[in-house]
Amino acid sequence: MREITYSEALREALRQEMQRDEHVFIIGEDVGVYGGAFGVTRDLFKEFGEARVIDTPISELGIAGAITGAALTGMRPVGEIMFMDFMTLASEQLVNQAAKIRFMFGGNATLPFVMRTPAGSGTGAAAQHSQSLENWFVHIPGLKVVMPSTPYDAKGLLIASIRDDNPVIFIEHKLLYKVKGPVPEEPYTIPLSTSEIKREGQDLTIVATSVMVKRSLEAAAQLASESIEVEVVDPRTLKPLDAEPLIRSVMKTGRLLIVHEACKTGGYGGELAALIAESEAFDYLEAPIVRLAGRDIPIPYNRLLEYHAVPQVENIVAKARELVQGRI
Amino acid sequence: MAIPVIMPKLEMAQETATVVEWLKQEGEEVEKDEPLLVVETDKITVDIESPASGILAGVRAGPADVVPVTEIIAYLLKPGETMSQEMTAAPPPLSASAAVQTVPTTAGTRATPAARRIARERTVDLRTITGSGPHGRVQAADVLTSTITPERPEQAAEVIPLQGIRRTSAQRLTASYQEIPHVYFTMRVDMGEFEKTRAALNARDPRVSITALLVKAVAWALKRHPGLNSTLRGTEIHLLPEINVGVAVALEEGLIVPVVQHADLKSVAEIARRVNELVTRAREGQLTPTDVAGGTFTLSNLGPFGIEQFTAIINPPQVAILAVGATRPEAIVSPEGQIVIRPVFRMTLAADHRVVDGALAARFLVELREVLENPTLLLW
Amino acid sequence: MNVEKKVDLLRQMYTIRAFEEKAEQLYALGKIHGTMHLSIGMEGSAVGAIAALRPDDLILSTHRGHGHCIAKGADLQRMAAEFMGKATGYCRGRGGSMHIADPEGGNLGANGVVGGGIPIAVGIGLSIKMQKRDQVILCFFGDGAANLGPFHEGLNMAAIWKLPVVYVCENNQYAMSCSTHKAFAIERISDRAAAYGMPGVTVDGNDVLAVYEAVSTAVKRARTGEGPSLVENFTYRWRGHSKSDANIYRTREEIESWKKKCPIKRFRTLLVKEGALMEAKAKQIEEQSYDAIESAVAFAEASPEPDLESIEEGVYA
Repeated sequence: MREITYSEALREALRQEMQRDEHVFIIGEDVGVYGGAFGVTRDLFKEFGEARVIDTPISELGIAGAITGAALTGMRPVGEIMFMDFMTLASEQLVNQAAKIRFMFGGNATLPFVMRTPAGSGTGAAAQHSQSLENWFVHIPGLKVVMPSTPYDAKGLLIASIRDDNPVIFIEHKLLYKVKGPVPEEPYTIPLSTSEIKREGQDLTIVATSVMVKRSLEAAAQLASESIEVEVVDPRTLKPLDAEPLIRSVMKTGRLLIVHEACKTGGYGGELAALIAESEAFDYLEAPIVRLAGRDIPIPYNRLLEYHAVPQVENIVAKARELVQGRI
Repeated sequence: MAIPVIMPKLEMAQETATVVEWLKQEGEEVEKDEPLLVVETDKITVDIESPASGILAGVRAGPADVVPVTEIIAYLLKPGETMSQEMTAAPPPLSASAAVQTVPTTAGTRATPAARRIARERTVDLRTITGSGPHGRVQAADVLTSTITPERPEQAAEVIPLQGIRRTSAQRLTASYQEIPHVYFTMRVDMGEFEKTRAALNARDPRVSITALLVKAVAWALKRHPGLNSTLRGTEIHLLPEINVGVAVALEEGLIVPVVQHADLKSVAEIARRVNELVTRAREGQLTPTDVAGGTFTLSNLGPFGIEQFTAIINPPQVAILAVGATRPEAIVSPEGQIVIRPVFRMTLAADHRVVDGALAARFLVELREVLENPTLLLW
Repeated sequence: MNVEKKVDLLRQMYTIRAFEEKAEQLYALGKIHGTMHLSIGMEGSAVGAIAALRPDDLILSTHRGHGHCIAKGADLQRMAAEFMGKATGYCRGRGGSMHIADPEGGNLGANGVVGGGIPIAVGIGLSIKMQKRDQVILCFFGDGAANLGPFHEGLNMAAIWKLPVVYVCENNQYAMSCSTHKAFAIERISDRAAAYGMPGVTVDGNDVLAVYEAVSTAVKRARTGEGPSLVENFTYRWRGHSKSDANIYRTREEIESWKKKCPIKRFRTLLVKEGALMEAKAKQIEEQSYDAIESAVAFAEASPEPDLESIEEGVYA
């Protein structure tokens, strides 16, 4: 199969959906002629024109309101917030309005929109352009939260998100944009709320999100050379979560390591740990559930400090080894 | 002032004891040193004597209650004295053993959820299992290896809770077998002279059993090879000043090992009397804590059961145990090269290989064989 | 405007007044859960503005939205039922006083967040424009909302894209307790329209016909693709901000002076004077309005509570 980048896969999803459905449009800062700050919407402007690839002023709340209102009245907008950090500016509309309208209306409305935004550190952009705020939105009933980790998932999940009748927060990762992988040319969907086992193993379950799936798979490959077989599970949709594959995996391996980039305290890992502790998998645990997550600090600028602010492959390998060898 | 009655600590490693029964009722007068209640430890059942004269009051632990040692379990009041509020506070029992019998209490035991589930499913008491995980945490595999075959629920097996002596043995034997690298040495002994000597001694009172005479011989050999009368403390081997030989006695409730103190210093008659007394008391459940304390080496004789040869598990903190089989007539080649029929038995030494190497074990066994084959050496 | 329509506007204003007075009574009787924000004294603004719309046009309302809802043609029974949290209400009891929405009737929801609808109006305007529909979205908000960031982002975006939005600022002179004199350095909020390149006008919000005229101009401009406008209806709320307001930030004299400027009495007097309406007929309209509310409330009171098993319905589509 042809290999393209994560970024190209997202662009192809947008293009194919805009070709399929005239109600789909793109709106955000510098998404038009500039092609988006990370180039995801590059050239779509040429194909669909400024009426459907809409550049906005620097008005994140306005973008969120625009996709909310448009979705409420029959369109399927795809908004873009340039950095996830700026979702804080848009959050009034996302959290108080979009997430609640359907419920407040007694089920008498749908809001089929996608808000794309890149999260994550590793680019030297420091504290205000590197955050992973997915759990802010996971916490809000009415929003769906999707975090693709591969080019294949990026395309299939974005198409599914656009076709979904709910507000979807679609969180990309800056370090994944240039990662290549096999992606079919034709349009396809990956149903939301389907977790995937990215690698099978018997000794340990790693549940990871976004770029940490890639790092966990690299760690698993290293551990395999030590005869440690790690199962890597990617929830892909954080909310609503497809919990069964996680529970079954932990019942099989008896050990769970959760890896995410967001700060540990209040992060998604706490939710996953609690989920497993409450599930039938609890009685199969052979070690404490362990979280490997970002430190509870803003992302620092310095390259070395930034590197050590979030989990890296070697940290995953070390922690996995400790768990499997019964040292935790 | 009311005098508290505490659950006594009877042995070093003891953390709890179980109340068997109170011999006095609340409100009843009791004299100092009069038996007040009966308690059971993992090893023994003993009468506890009243620490003072007074009227028994405020009994906090009833029959079958497991109580931490040194906890107050009752008070003795002077005539006219009443219970203060403080005295009636906080009941001490850890748990009622009635509950222990049906659902093993595993609170406080480190075990993974998976180990706990398997233990529940297979009715295994987690406390009997030595954990292989961090801080001794019991892992699922530990439980699995501890169970021989899973019970089939439709053929409900008779469940005998692991309690008291048997539970303690189970824990100690498992720990010993898992922690101590056992090494075994077997030697055949011509028991002709030994039998003659015993027959001669038996003309007198008391009757000398094979076991009693073996204790004497073992003590004699240990005296000459103190490396086997030692204990391992951290990275040090401590050669023990006393030779106290434990004698394994099989009871319905499990195995108990009363100890012949200073076996090297006692005469055969003294040893015989002591062994008889210990065995009788053990069978009657009358052993005291001192009867079972302080062993430095253990002798296990399954000869009376017809066992010819077996290996035993070391009884920590000892470093060796001698397993002795039955004496049987066997055809052997005499030093003169002739086939003769002689009474023979086999003894197997199990030793802690960290402390005892093969040469030491061999020297000890050779010396022991020599004294068994030539008991007059005991006079040496 | 023909006589029939004028009489209808009077009926609407009475209906709003009757609904809110009844709401107050029910609250006093302990039959209403939570709080409510009454627009008594402001009926001219709601009715005049919505009178300028077609039935298929859309509105976004505010926390003080009973008047907008009734003027947009809501069914009083379903509205009263929602007010009482009943299963038969517009939002099946999930919204309550502050969130009544009737998407089929073009009311895309009252909003509990001040200024919350202003950016949504941008999206609705964009949607109308992209789908080449001939509709207008009228977005109500109060004087308080005009000082929020979303006001700036929303009005600017609507203006740069010439969206069919009519922004109606109901200036009742108080953002909760904070008077416009303390919160603005300008006399007229409509002056801000100039900053976004759209027309802005301030009218007497207690003159239902003046409101109608001003909003009609804005609606025409929106519908013909010329873009948004800002209409400021200068008015006054007689009651406190919400049920927990002790009215200590303004004088009784001030409140009484505005009661004398009642938009309903003023319009009724005008209609009688014009000969459009006999006094007896006017009285009949008033009584009918109060009666209609009684029957709506009776329906609401007889309606079932929402089924507890349905509690999670409506979170996701």
